[in-house]
Amino acid sequence: MSQRIRIDPVTRIEGHLAVKLDIERKGTKYIVGSAYSLGEMFRGFEVILKGRDPLDAQQITQRICGVCPISHGIASCKAQEMAYGIRPNKNGRLLQNLILAANYIQSHVLHFYLLAALDFIDITAILKYRGKDQELQEIKAWAESKLKAAQLGEPYALGPLLPRYEGDFDIKDPSINIEFLKHYLMALDIRRMAHEMGAVFGAKLPHATALVPGGCTQVPHEERVLSYGSRLNLIKRFVEHIYLPDVKGLFSLLPEYWNIGRGYKNLLSYGVFDLGSGDTLFKGGAIIYGDYEPLDIDAIVEDVEYSRFSSPSSLPPNRGQTIPFPDKPGAYSWLKAPRYKNHPMEVGPLARILVDYKTPGPSLFKNLVKNLFKELKVTEQDMYSVAGRHIARAMELKVIIDAAFEWLNDLDIDSAPARDFDLVKKGKGIGLTEAPRGALGHWLSISDYKIDRYQCVVPSTWNFSPRDHNNLPGPVERALKYTPIKDPKQPIEAARVVRSFDPCLACAVH
Amino acid sequence: MKKNISRREFLKIGGYLATGFGLSQYYTDVFASGLNNLVSGTPKIIWLQAQSCSGCSVSFLNANGPYIQQIITELVSIMFHPTISAAQGDVAIDIIKNVSSADFPFIFIVEGAIPLDMPKACMIGEETFEDMAIPLLKRAKYIMAAGTCATYGGIPSAEGNPTGAVGVMDFMKNKNIPYKGRLVNCPLCPTHPASIIGTLAYLAGKGYPDVDEKLLTPHMFYAHSVHYNCPRYHFYEKGIFADKFGDEGCLFKLGCLGPLSYTTCPWRQWNGGINWCIRAAAPCIGCSHPYFAKFKDFPFYRKGEKYHQVKYQEKDRTSK
Repeated sequence: MSQRIRIDPVTRIEGHLAVKLDIERKGTKYIVGSAYSLGEMFRGFEVILKGRDPLDAQQITQRICGVCPISHGIASCKAQEMAYGIRPNKNGRLLQNLILAANYIQSHVLHFYLLAALDFIDITAILKYRGKDQELQEIKAWAESKLKAAQLGEPYALGPLLPRYEGDFDIKDPSINIEFLKHYLMALDIRRMAHEMGAVFGAKLPHATALVPGGCTQVPHEERVLSYGSRLNLIKRFVEHIYLPDVKGLFSLLPEYWNIGRGYKNLLSYGVFDLGSGDTLFKGGAIIYGDYEPLDIDAIVEDVEYSRFSSPSSLPPNRGQTIPFPDKPGAYSWLKAPRYKNHPMEVGPLARILVDYKTPGPSLFKNLVKNLFKELKVTEQDMYSVAGRHIARAMELKVIIDAAFEWLNDLDIDSAPARDFDLVKKGKGIGLTEAPRGALGHWLSISDYKIDRYQCVVPSTWNFSPRDHNNLPGPVERALKYTPIKDPKQPIEAARVVRSFDPCLACAVH
Repeated sequence: MKKNISRREFLKIGGYLATGFGLSQYYTDVFASGLNNLVSGTPKIIWLQAQSCSGCSVSFLNANGPYIQQIITELVSIMFHPTISAAQGDVAIDIIKNVSSADFPFIFIVEGAIPLDMPKACMIGEETFEDMAIPLLKRAKYIMAAGTCATYGGIPSAEGNPTGAVGVMDFMKNKNIPYKGRLVNCPLCPTHPASIIGTLAYLAGKGYPDVDEKLLTPHMFYAHSVHYNCPRYHFYEKGIFADKFGDEGCLFKLGCLGPLSYTTCPWRQWNGGINWCIRAAAPCIGCSHPYFAKFKDFPFYRKGEKYHQVKYQEKDRTSK
């Protein structure tokens, strides 16, 4: 016996996602049988870009996503740089890294505290607060007055924090819940500050106009460097003393989440943060069923069997097409289904750190990951889980922050922030980078000084893809299978699995 | 039932908002009384996303005067916001449905364009965005189009787009929903957090603001020329032009669309006054303009104009 339920819309994510679940009864318990991930919004960026001046692309593609615009801007710059036959100068490379690092910080902090934590934390615990923290006392007073207002009939008086799924909030100690609420409020400051850092060199965020092929338009003056660095110092403390311990603490209280949301154990990373000389801070590569292999960029195709497109299926991105067909029979998502050697691949922080960890030879995460396993008493296998994904995200942020201090010190003050270039009549380029949510590629071809073809294969396209012509579920669809559900009317456990992938649906469909 | 925030506190926040936009004492008072009304939930707010990138929501989170924490938990009664709300699934749909038939005043904020020719290009809870939004557009006391997509269609409505995307004003015209005196347009890509909270406070304190007759943009935030307030204007006057990215000088020959743009960017700036496009030597790309990114032959930058056809003459980049 199975019953079909939907989480529609999945909120506290970027964009329009719905999840369809077939719930099976096992004795007195329920588990997820089949799951379907539905991308619900389409704009057609690839169609819109055709025939435009290629220099429009790093501005237009940033608007694919307001949470990770920088990654799209950089992927587009890289694709154009390849087509124009240039590389950024030293300042240009460092400035692009620094803007990207700032956006990683805002994205990860936003994701854990504002988007994901409300599924784990019972914020109503604030009503039991007895301490002396003034901000918490104010929030308590606000909550009490709003509760009274609700009893007197004010509609949604406690919005946007209530109502919610009243699933099982397993952390019963009110002081832990209240501490999290305090950190939720701090996180709002931290992510805003991270955006300020991005704007120091990027002009503004979201959507940094200063990103251009060859580097950046903002000359790194001394006061700019100080402005970025002082904020980075504060944020470093938050990440080390609050964010990382919070994530570790949360999953020591909820150890079952080391075992929920497993997925295929197929990981893909392109590598990110250019160190010059072609090397990257995080190494790229692939892991298939647990085994490492070097990256083969020609092994990517996009399947559209169950996607709302009439264009041919299984095309590689350099020959990709995007022809929408909203009423296509059998199709259930606006996402294409990218596959690597026919495998659905998970991308994101977990992929970045495990690919780097398993890269032969010396690499950044070798010891860090070993130490983490020792500290938390977990294995590589345990990392393929809700907890593993959250921990990977927090852990990589610490590494990125340390690297950002070095990039800041390496800047040539008051020197040119970009390399100049000439436009080309004909050319091709591939821009590979990693967005906060995972592997991002832009494929560009130019003809007669205009964009002839532009295809984006985006992190959430990988993670949230629908089934393909082999009927293989996408990575999230697979990870949802076997998730235990206490109350099918309030499937909060499934929502926790979905959010561990940090969904970004405007990106995924574009 | 409201928490006790003193009149002085409201005046402080109102004053901060007004000063940021270079507005007079009159606005301080209007914003202060508006915030006072917002605190007691008259009106309340509901926010939905259509063909959006969530950039305007993220920009809203960047609000720092007043701070976003205070906005969420104290000042503004947000019944539903897709990125912030704890509610999901049926719980979220119930809120939207109940508000659609509400008998209390509320402001409906729309982020993103609406796919008029392909309604299935944006779905929420097994309904098209269109079907979900129409009752809200009819019932809301005021509607705010946040960002250039919701205002003029933005990039989803650019030339050659496959979904027939339009902004809220064109959508309401198409569906015969009265919009004059109800819809306020707050363009920019993304929209500025202070114009969201400023517009809300004005609507709640005084009512419908003075707007541009055609564009429905409030004069208080969108009547000032970027070009004439530009810190690089002296370069323009002296004919000193940057000719590659990162150079000193006026950015006009690189493609700057400051002359076509009417915003408070030159003094309000972005991300808490840290920077803005022209200060960072990045040419303004005209993200508040009704024609932002609209035409294939009107690129942001002028580097390509000697190689391929463009649909403008230099003077088209200098007049409204």
